[in-house]
Amino acid sequence: MIPTSEVVAFVGVGVLLTALFLQSESFVNPLIQGIAVQSLLLAVLLSWLAWTERSVDLALLAGLTVVVRALVIPGVLRRQIRAFRWRSREIHAANRVTGHALAAVAAAIVAWFVFQQTLASVFPEPGAALPFVLLVQGLLMLATRSNTLVQVIGYLEEENAIVYAGALFASAFPLFVEVVVFLDVLGVVLVGIILSIQRDVTGSPEEAGLEELAG
Amino acid sequence: MNVGEPGLWLYLLLLAPSAAALLALVPYAGVSRVVARAGSLLALASALALMIDGTSGRWGAYLGLDSLSEVFLVMVASIYATSTWYSEGYLRGVHRPFLTPQLYYALLGAFALAMIATLVVTDLGLMWIGIEATTVASALLVVLERKPTSVEAAWRYTLIASAGLTIALFALLLIYADTGTLDAFALAASRPALSLPIEMGVALALVGYGTKVGLFPMHTWLPDAHSEAPSPVSAMFSGVLLPTALYAFLRVYAILPTPTPALITDLLVAFGGATALSGAFLLQRQRSFKRLLAYSSMEVMGIAVVGVALGGVALYGALVLLVAHAFAKSAAFYCAGNVLRSTGTTRVDEVRDLQHRMPRTGGAWVLASFAVTGAPPFGTFLGELLIVLGAIAAGWYWLALLLVVAILVAFLGVNSQVGRMVFGSAAPMGSSPSTAAEESAAVAYLNVGVALAVGVAALPYLSNAIRAAASLLGGAPP
Repeated sequence: MIPTSEVVAFVGVGVLLTALFLQSESFVNPLIQGIAVQSLLLAVLLSWLAWTERSVDLALLAGLTVVVRALVIPGVLRRQIRAFRWRSREIHAANRVTGHALAAVAAAIVAWFVFQQTLASVFPEPGAALPFVLLVQGLLMLATRSNTLVQVIGYLEEENAIVYAGALFASAFPLFVEVVVFLDVLGVVLVGIILSIQRDVTGSPEEAGLEELAG
Repeated sequence: MNVGEPGLWLYLLLLAPSAAALLALVPYAGVSRVVARAGSLLALASALALMIDGTSGRWGAYLGLDSLSEVFLVMVASIYATSTWYSEGYLRGVHRPFLTPQLYYALLGAFALAMIATLVVTDLGLMWIGIEATTVASALLVVLERKPTSVEAAWRYTLIASAGLTIALFALLLIYADTGTLDAFALAASRPALSLPIEMGVALALVGYGTKVGLFPMHTWLPDAHSEAPSPVSAMFSGVLLPTALYAFLRVYAILPTPTPALITDLLVAFGGATALSGAFLLQRQRSFKRLLAYSSMEVMGIAVVGVALGGVALYGALVLLVAHAFAKSAAFYCAGNVLRSTGTTRVDEVRDLQHRMPRTGGAWVLASFAVTGAPPFGTFLGELLIVLGAIAAGWYWLALLLVVAILVAFLGVNSQVGRMVFGSAAPMGSSPSTAAEESAAVAYLNVGVALAVGVAALPYLSNAIRAAASLLGGAPP
């Protein structure tokens, strides 16, 4: 039987690579595929842990991860691209992705280092720093991108980080399934409702930098 | 004073906004409005009954009350009720609204319910869900007026608040991993030994919930959402949503052993002081009177956070400040809504001579403006004075000076702009404004009156509850 530590390591490497890929990409379709792959990798880990620990909660989380963050929200995002009648390359980030990628690598190293210096002794599980690294990557994506479709992907990455952390070092966290359901509901509200209103009102997923909202 | 079975009031408090939110969806706007008003009044009556009764305790595994939650419940239920009553006139002035009145009242009820639920649960995880639910319920209210600016504001609000709350959830994971429980009441009673995960968890909770409180530099959603939301919703945002998010942090903060670790105190002072100062200076350059009020809220929240950090009499001052500010700021937003309805603009330089054009609203706005900026004898003055005195007593002289500067700068900034709108003789407004909005000024006067009563301790039950809440958190009421 494959040891759990190897599954954790395999998923950890995959998650880290997808996170860095997301930072370095300016076309939205590959970004959507990237977040779906990251969610599927997490689902693999959750399913493995659910099986080894006989945990119904983790099995439910695995199912939610596949259905909502690997299938439904990416599917809605693809429909939004078509509905916006908009070319699928992020306008403002296209010439800055190299900087984003470098910043992402630097942020990953710093986050890893901070975790090792502070919490590694408390959470000695293999790969325990990765959820923290992933959280920082999601925040970086939200902070550096101005396209709403890409920001949704940053939001999903943050949610993946939370699920990942819960699975690794707080799998008995009470109400964790309910918490993730809430995060998913918010994700659906973001992509399903507010993006649709934005499409109707502004016609573009790029933030407008409106003068009235300055200051 | 015994006013009946507290458990029944508690369930009624949860049931009233739930029923109002659901029944508001009936296809008749008039019925929807009546149901929403009745539900909000019932919620207010329940919150008042719980505060007057003063019972602390638990009901089942997840529901519980103490004096801290009772003070915040009265704030939330009061502003929910006044905003619901104020909404009718405001909605009449919105052309092509994105939401039907039924959906608006349903979401308003859901928004209030999410805040109330946050305040009556004992589990930190459920509190987090409650705060996240406030985002879901209120984001759509921001886009009521279907403008590009309101859509962008709603987007920023949802995204930034959610990002912050993800950090708060990470903080809870750390605390749970160390303590094995998220029961806020049990953790506050047992005060687990200080450990790295707990200290880091509290620090991350400050950043996470602080985003929703509007702390600098995570505040960027606040002026956008507050200024673009319809005025009754802005009143709920500024008056009670920010304090409810602070309440969620206070519950995490309360698990720390005493004395509070210096790192956490320093972080609170740094975030609070920076927020107060940046809010006070940023409001000087605002051209929109709603953004002006939003930055003023930021300044007040910063001062309140400093009060929490200082403890003692300053902590009591912080609670007085939050309560008085909730009523004062909601009154100011109602006045702003009246002016917006009548003139169609939010620009300060396009509004003049309200003393003659809208005398009732103008008068209420002057009073509300003084109240939000800490003029005596309003409750905000008492709260801010106690926080400054607390800083001096603790030997934080530079902090006291910083707070005084922030308070004075904000006072001058807000009152000079409001004074220009109310008393300014130039009249750039082309036509006479509609006076229909004047009928809504009564709600603003009511809330200003409560802010005044808090300052002169004319509300004995509320004053006692604030004292008890401060003592619960380790504060020392004078």
